[in-house]
Amino acid sequence: MRNVITYVIAFLFILTLNFLLPRMLPGDPLMAIYGNEALIAMTPELKAHLVERFALDQPLWQQFGAYLLALVQGDLGHSYYYNSPVSSIVLGRLPWTLLLVGTALIISTLSGIVLGIESGWRRGSRRDKSLLTSLMAVSGFPDFFLGILLLIGFSVTWKIFPLSGAITPYSGLSGAALVLDVLHHLFLPATALTLSYIGASYLLTRNTMVTVLKNPYILMAKAKGLPDRVVRYQHAGRNALLPVITQTGIQLGRMVTGALFVEIVFAYPGLGYLTYEALLARDYPVLQGVLLIVAVSVLIANFLVDLSYSKLDPRIRYAH
Amino acid sequence: MLKLEALEVSYGEKKILNGIDLELKDGESLAVIGESGAGKTTLALSLMRLVDGSVKGKILFNGLDLLSLPEEAINELRGNRIAWAPQNSNNTLNPVHTILNQVAESITEHKLKNRREAGKQASILLSSFGIPVNRFSAYPHQLSGGEQQRVLLAIASANQPELLILDEPISSLDAPARAEVIELLKHTNQDCSFIVTTHDISTAAKLADKVAILYAGRIVELGLSGEVLSRPRHPYTRGLIRCYPDMTTGKDLQGIKGVMDRSVNGCSFHPRCTQAIEICRKEIPPLRLIQGRHIACHRGGIIPLLSTKNLSKRFDSLLAVDAVKITIEGGETLALVGESGSGKTTLAKLIMGLIEPTEGEIYLEDSLVSNRGKDFYRQVQMIFQNPGESLSHRLSVLELVRESLDIQEIGARDERDRLVRQVLREVELPDSEAFLNEYPHHLSAGEMQRVTIARALVLEPRLLIADEPVAFLDSSLQAKILKLLLKLQEQRGLSLLFITHDIAVARKISDRIAVMKDGKIVEQGPATKIITSPGHAYTRKLSQAALDLSLED
Amino acid sequence: MHINPKQEIRHSKFAMFGIGMLLFLLIIAIFGPLLTPYQPNSQTPFAFESPSFNHWLGTNHVGQDILSQLIYGARTSLLVGFLTALLATILSAIIGTSTALAGGLYDKIVMRIVDAFIVIPAIIVIILVAAYLKPNLLVLILLLALLGWQGGARTIRAQALSLKEMGHISAARSFGASNLYIIFRHILPDLVPILLMGFIYGVRRAVFMEAGLAFLGIADPTTVSWGMMMHEALDFCYLNVWRWWLIPPGVALSLTILSVTGIGHTLEGALDPRLRREANA
Repeated sequence: MRNVITYVIAFLFILTLNFLLPRMLPGDPLMAIYGNEALIAMTPELKAHLVERFALDQPLWQQFGAYLLALVQGDLGHSYYYNSPVSSIVLGRLPWTLLLVGTALIISTLSGIVLGIESGWRRGSRRDKSLLTSLMAVSGFPDFFLGILLLIGFSVTWKIFPLSGAITPYSGLSGAALVLDVLHHLFLPATALTLSYIGASYLLTRNTMVTVLKNPYILMAKAKGLPDRVVRYQHAGRNALLPVITQTGIQLGRMVTGALFVEIVFAYPGLGYLTYEALLARDYPVLQGVLLIVAVSVLIANFLVDLSYSKLDPRIRYAH
Repeated sequence: MLKLEALEVSYGEKKILNGIDLELKDGESLAVIGESGAGKTTLALSLMRLVDGSVKGKILFNGLDLLSLPEEAINELRGNRIAWAPQNSNNTLNPVHTILNQVAESITEHKLKNRREAGKQASILLSSFGIPVNRFSAYPHQLSGGEQQRVLLAIASANQPELLILDEPISSLDAPARAEVIELLKHTNQDCSFIVTTHDISTAAKLADKVAILYAGRIVELGLSGEVLSRPRHPYTRGLIRCYPDMTTGKDLQGIKGVMDRSVNGCSFHPRCTQAIEICRKEIPPLRLIQGRHIACHRGGIIPLLSTKNLSKRFDSLLAVDAVKITIEGGETLALVGESGSGKTTLAKLIMGLIEPTEGEIYLEDSLVSNRGKDFYRQVQMIFQNPGESLSHRLSVLELVRESLDIQEIGARDERDRLVRQVLREVELPDSEAFLNEYPHHLSAGEMQRVTIARALVLEPRLLIADEPVAFLDSSLQAKILKLLLKLQEQRGLSLLFITHDIAVARKISDRIAVMKDGKIVEQGPATKIITSPGHAYTRKLSQAALDLSLED
Repeated sequence: MHINPKQEIRHSKFAMFGIGMLLFLLIIAIFGPLLTPYQPNSQTPFAFESPSFNHWLGTNHVGQDILSQLIYGARTSLLVGFLTALLATILSAIIGTSTALAGGLYDKIVMRIVDAFIVIPAIIVIILVAAYLKPNLLVLILLLALLGWQGGARTIRAQALSLKEMGHISAARSFGASNLYIIFRHILPDLVPILLMGFIYGVRRAVFMEAGLAFLGIADPTTVSWGMMMHEALDFCYLNVWRWWLIPPGVALSLTILSVTGIGHTLEGALDPRLRREANA
């Protein structure tokens, strides 16, 4: 079990890195903090204001203090590329990433677990072997290449799904039509992400099943005369679930970063595409803001998974 | 209600059960005893049709052939009419469900669809098995091992099964709890038939009417518990009982030589059996009814090695041995206990043919002993009370031990020397040149006694008569010599007629005890029985007179 | 626990495929300069050419030969993969065994840090650092290695802890053996299968991350890599060029990762006795 201190250390590390990177580089820190775009719009007054606000003429630790203070106030900085506060840009893009990651996470985890349970239950059967081979093969593809293949197939060649974006621009759709439009755009990126992560939860569930099935309580459940389905899900599956849940936490980090790549392929306007745009434009405030938000959300998600894990496993719940 | 016919279970090439025939009547209980790996659990699970391996033969449960039933029908029976309670080990109960749910689950599956009602019934059951009410919604890991075991038994009893299979059911409980749980089981499941698998003989004796002894996937002995356990007739059963520590006998724990090996031809016990003959190596003995007991043994079970009938010896007016009838079985120790002058040594000398009987016969393996040739003495040997007297002071150790080989004309000269060295090592003496050339008066008392044992053993006799072999030794040497004799018995299957005046020593070494007084055998029987409930006043007197280390005011 | 990784791999088709594939890629990577008719970076005036005898896979938007780029891409991928995994494995072996043996405060502090790094999404840190530092290949390798040893260290520590309790180690201690002796003579040899597996998955991770970073366009632009090729080709995916420009590097990358996965999966199965094939009676 990881505890809170672990997360505090991780959090501090990310903050420090975010703080130090632009400031430790040679050259004008303002340029590193605010990017190219800012310098063009820079007036001497603004420059003086910024230097003061970030305490750039002060020793490093005071700069850090100023940086933290700004963060606490919810100030992630200002993007001169978009000419708006970073926090509002990030918040505007966040729902799309959440939608994409959430959909893919739920589908890939649930189907991975179900397939893993079925596969592990009859290990060595033909169904198990073909499932194993195909899912291993699929998980060998990098997420962005899966996305590219789907894009080329379904959008470029067959034109079944839109090429890019999350909604049809200027269509003025509302209600059910809007929902359908969103789903239409969501389908390919979510499929790419689901396909590239289903393998992990499937493999882990399957391997755990193999261990779980050797436990005497499985024999006990069969000896009670319970139907196959009940033994498989209530008794075996329920126990195989625990490690899968922990891994889902770890997965979450990979999933979010996977979403970054997939979003780029489909020009899906979430945080990943925002990162890409910021990288191209050298819009450092946005880059920093996005990465901070993503890192912290992953930390929080991991932490929540750790907590829920102890809820799921009675042995841990009472160990404290 | 239950009938097994030629049941065979194998995993791949490996046969775990090999032709089991059994029958169980309504309300009857059977204990299946065997060491680990004998196939007990496989037997239990095959009755639930839960073994992975391939199963052949027939299992008839109230006329239903369990092996040919469809899966749904067998699921209908499992946990309902036939229930199984395994030994509690880690994770026998599902760690993520509460114990109440695990009991109730069994009920909802078969009898009551109403969850609340089932929960109520499960609570009643759990309390009756001694689980406190506040533990019902606990998870298995929060219970002690004993409590977990009780939950398992409650699950098995949940639907009042007709057949309850208990697989090592109470090994994890401590002794007082065992007795209580056995009572509970019998009470909760009245009219239920039991099959109990166990390696624990006392459990079997308490729980079951009948016992079946399982060895390497076959039943080697089957009979009423009391009879089988007090008078085992298969060599394996006797070995098993000897291995079992209990409070009543004092005989030191003895093992069975070798280890179980399923791959041997013929009787699978023969490599470990001390009375194996040619046929044992070739053919598998069937389980036959021999004198009221089912035994799978070509020799009909443990053979009587030597017996006397009506054996008497009169010295003038004194009747030193009076119509003695004793039997010494193959591989056992019979202790002959009595005061000096009771006729013990005379009896030994009669058997050895050192003096002629006035009346009566001696049989060696069913054939009457008339004139003893070399052949007899190769099979029966004796060690004498006073080692100093029986060893000639003119002969070296080598010559002393070789003497019997010389007399019997066994082997060439160097073969004999090799045998001498081997037997010396066996009795834990050095086999160095220097020691071989020692003369008796240079030896200690313990060494001398070992030399006498060595020279008796070098002929590989089947019966060794030991007349007060430790009486002249101090107690630490006594212990060593006794241990040596037991070890030799385990290795060679030697039968021992152990003559002693000390019932405490007899208790330590014997399977059976015969008490002798004034030339008569006044009482004989299993050592356990003679020690704990002596029938004759004289035996009690001997027991009281025996050395007692406890300090009294 | 005695495991013969060689034998386990020989029995698995998946792993044999992986090894064959990797060997093939290695040969291509090593002899790449001999095989390619063009310098991967040399531009020609003929952009967007379809495959022809001169350019088997055509040319890209600035007229570079795609096949040459593909072959040089194998060099980058494998170099980054193997070197990163090697460094990370060495680091995790040192940290894992030393914390297991030393214990105490050192173990506590180091493991805290390790745990913290495990929960941090590495790729994000790398994107951030790469965006500022614009690392060349060597720096990228160091960076990937620095962020890639923590999980391995945990596994190795756990394994070393259980090894430490084993009889032969206690015996060595009772003869007065030093920690160093025990690490090198007893613990490391027993850790070989786990290290091997850590290495294999390290390769996979590094290949994947390098490609991802290049795909994002933040790798060193002078190094030819599959990720970069896909990055460039994606902008033109509405043209037909994806057939010979976008797909080949993607397939090459996928095959590399797939073959490494195959080896890793087989090793993992071999390492976990519970997953072994023998049916226990």
